[in-house]
Amino acid sequence: MADVGELKDFICQKFCENVGLKAEELFGADLTLAEVIARSDRMTNSVDLMEAFAKSSNALRKQYAIRVRLPALSLDTPISQVVDLFVQECQQGRPV
Amino acid sequence: MATVREHGLLKPVSLEDALVRMSGLVESPAELAPPRRPTVVADLYRAFKEEGRRLVDITWDQHRLHEARRWSATALVESVCLEQLTEKDRFVVWSAGKAEMTAKPSADRMARLADKECRRWVGKDSVVASIVQALGTWSRYWNEEEAHHETSFTQLAMLAGFEPLSDDAVIEYRKVFPDDDLLRTVTMLAFSESIASVNYGQYMRQVSDPGLKMLFKHVGADEVQHMQYFISFAKALVDSGAYPAKEAFAVAHFFLREEGELYGSAREHVEDRGTHINWWDHLESEAGQAAAAPEALDRKRSLILHSLRRITGVACASAEEVEDTWMDLVGC
Repeated sequence: MADVGELKDFICQKFCENVGLKAEELFGADLTLAEVIARSDRMTNSVDLMEAFAKSSNALRKQYAIRVRLPALSLDTPISQVVDLFVQECQQGRPV
Repeated sequence: MATVREHGLLKPVSLEDALVRMSGLVESPAELAPPRRPTVVADLYRAFKEEGRRLVDITWDQHRLHEARRWSATALVESVCLEQLTEKDRFVVWSAGKAEMTAKPSADRMARLADKECRRWVGKDSVVASIVQALGTWSRYWNEEEAHHETSFTQLAMLAGFEPLSDDAVIEYRKVFPDDDLLRTVTMLAFSESIASVNYGQYMRQVSDPGLKMLFKHVGADEVQHMQYFISFAKALVDSGAYPAKEAFAVAHFFLREEGELYGSAREHVEDRGTHINWWDHLESEAGQAAAAPEALDRKRSLILHSLRRITGVACASAEEVEDTWMDLVGC
């Protein structure tokens, strides 16, 4: 199992890739999920956001063999909280 | 009963048919065959691609089914005995009227989105263009049928003593939904109609007035028919290969997941989107409770899984299987 810092970096990197925003923009202002949808050129609505999280979860599965179930979150949730939830899920160590 | 000789066999015919034949108004027995019972065309891609059917053929099928199923909102509202309605009945009627008010903006969006999408395919894929145009064409029947639901319930609510909704409230409920991917939109509508049909079944079983019971039954049956149409259009989009099945799975996951759309107004947190109103988020009090009863949720889950299977050809037995399949389809 990778350490928490490494996992967090990996998750942040995948979120940036999948929502199509730079790290400074996504995490600098700690955007809410509604703001992420509004700012990303790739997103029309929450379904696109869920797909970005699904792809990030799949990347974790491929890289670390960890399965993260997708959380149901309200649109006013800040992105930092989503990263924390993903890390917590990883720490629970649900195998693939 | 009169008889007629066909292929050496004597076959019974109605007196009217026999007289029409005797008068020389028909030239072949086929002309007297009963018209094909109108149904939803279940395999629309095949109909256009392999059977060579044209938009005018499909439109006639749509029209025949619409006409065969019509009922009178005026007559059904008049058949309800207002004195027999309980407080709960009245409240459910009022809530249903508000919910149905969002059907018009949904159908308006569908008509506009379908035509825009159809033009995108003209000259590139004539079968997809026809499928999408058939969807846009059908949306006029859908819109008209939904008008029966909205006006029946709102009128009944007023007759039962509720204050009429203000014009501001009506205008708020008429906000047109934002555009989305076409397959996602049609899949979402198939699910939305299936959820509505279960709700009306729940309400139907709980009321005692025969008129209101019949109204819920007619509205619920309309919703089932709409669900079948949306399944047919979504399946045709997937069958064409132009729209990936992952989008239908994404919507199914969105409905079935924990705290998903399936649970409507019973969810701990319901988004206030500002852009439009989802009817299932606004079923208040008793109407919301009936919609979230365990047996209702089971029926809704089953119908969503059934719809997803017919649209994509992939069978899933649970929300977890839907999530797993969807995640496999999106990749990383």
